[in-house]
Order: sequence, then C-alpha cells, then structure tokens
Amino acid sequence: MSDHPEIATRVEALESVLTERGLIDPSTVDAIIEHYEKDVGPLNGARVVARAWTEDAYRERLLANGTKAIAELGYGGTEGADIRVLENSAEVHNVVVCTLCSCYPWPVLGLPPSWYKSDAYRSRMVAEPRAVLAEMGLELPEQVRIRIWDSSAEARYLVLPQRPAGTDGWSSEQLIPLITRDAMIGVAHAVEPG
Amino acid sequence: MVGSESMLDLDGPGAPPRANGELVFAQPWERRVFGVTMALTRQVFSYDDFRQHLMMRVREFPERPYWESWLAALEDALSAACVSDLNVDARLAELLARPHGHDH
Repeated sequence: MSDHPEIATRVEALESVLTERGLIDPSTVDAIIEHYEKDVGPLNGARVVARAWTEDAYRERLLANGTKAIAELGYGGTEGADIRVLENSAEVHNVVVCTLCSCYPWPVLGLPPSWYKSDAYRSRMVAEPRAVLAEMGLELPEQVRIRIWDSSAEARYLVLPQRPAGTDGWSSEQLIPLITRDAMIGVAHAVEPG
Repeated sequence: MVGSESMLDLDGPGAPPRANGELVFAQPWERRVFGVTMALTRQVFSYDDFRQHLMMRVREFPERPYWESWLAALEDALSAACVSDLNVDARLAELLARPHGHDH
C-alpha cells in the first residue's frame, strides 16, 4: 500500500503512544480528518466569490475585511484568522504563494493541493510568475500586471477572480460551479460558461 | 477505519468540488499524521507553534516530501511542549517486528 513502509509505521507508533498517554483519541482524529476532507473545501470559497459577484455591498465588505465578510457565511477557524481578498481585474492578476511552508486559507479553500506545497511552485512563482502560470495553462497578455502575494506573514489570501463574460443575471447557484480552487489561488481564470 | 476505502468516498456524492483536484493525501499515513497533529492542537500545542516547526523543517530540506517534513515538525512540536519519553522508537520496533502482511 505505502511506498514508505517505515514512515507509515512510525506514524502508527506515534499515534499509539499518544493514545496511551491520553493526549489524543483515535475517534477524534477520524472526525477531524473527515471534517477537513468533506466539510472544509473550495466550495466554501466558491460561495464567498459567487456572493461577491452578485452583491456589490458584500463585495465591498469582503475587500475591506475578508475575515469578517467570510465569517458572515459561517466560515472561519484554523488558518483563517486574517484572510485578505485580492480582486483580479483586466489590468491586475493576483497569485498566492507561500514561500516558507504552505500557509493557505483553509476555511475557504480546504487543504492545499500538493503542487502548492512543492519546492518548485514556492520558489519559481516568485522568480518567474508569467512562465509558471503559462505552464499551468494560464497565458496572460503582456499588459496584465501580475502581483504575487506571499502568505508567509500572518495573512492568508483569497483571490476574487473576474466574473466570466456571458453570466449576466446568473444566480449564485449557477455561478458556483464556475469558481474553481485554482481560480481562487490565482493560477487559473474562472471557468467560461458554455 | 480510515484508509483507502474512505479515500475513495471522496469521489462519491457530497464530495467537495475538485475540478482541478488531486487528492490532498497520497498515502493513508499522510492523512493520519495530519489528523493526529490537528487533534494535538486542541490541548498540547497551538497550530501556530506547530507551524513554526513546520517552516523550519521545510526550510532545512526543501526537496523532502512535504508530509515527511510535517512528521518531523510534529515530533519537534511535541518535544517543545515537553511531551517527552514517549518511546516512539521502542513502539516502532515492536510494530515493525509484526509478521509481514499483518493488516493487509
């Protein structure tokens, strides 16, 4: 099953001694994993973005104080103490990275994907963002300014992607499937309808 | 319990959207070490304390697989919280001495 039999067993050994010491309870561990896998995920962020696209007053609150506006929808907690929202436009494209480890806004995006934690993404996105974005499938016109946000400070960032053309009058429920995790990290556009 | 079966459930109804998504955990032990760490943040150390150790471990050896750095940081955070004499090595030796294929 595992390609690291020894490390898998080390985790098992650690869990077993911590359980005996009463420091953790395996059923709590199960519940925590299930919570992060099933309840905390990019659907939360997509709901935030869809509301910002459909309600100007909410969008303004979100840009002024991300953490507070996100809490209006009931999301917050670990890695969510200070979430700042970055708005993409025709002139500026924002991308989020964490050069030191893997800081990421869990309450709205869930756990980070493996490429976000890779040494290649963390170092190269800062040095040559346009090239890395193109490799990830996002070709930006030369005149678009790219801004890289490093989450290594206390803040976590969420990108507010541009609303795709051809979605006037769409409801939040219709818009949500267009809003992907990658668009909210800034390595993709929201999905074009049709 | 938690293992490959429940990882497959992620593709079923009610799964979070993963339009571009790979699974976050490639191996069962990775999800386990994550869950154990987050359980410990309820009473043994804070997540912020743990994150300091994680940053150090990632910086020390950037090419190391992420969840291996995570495990090293977890053991650092336990020492820093004075949870010592856990005898993990002794338990590890016991577990490794089990007959091959014990749980498969």
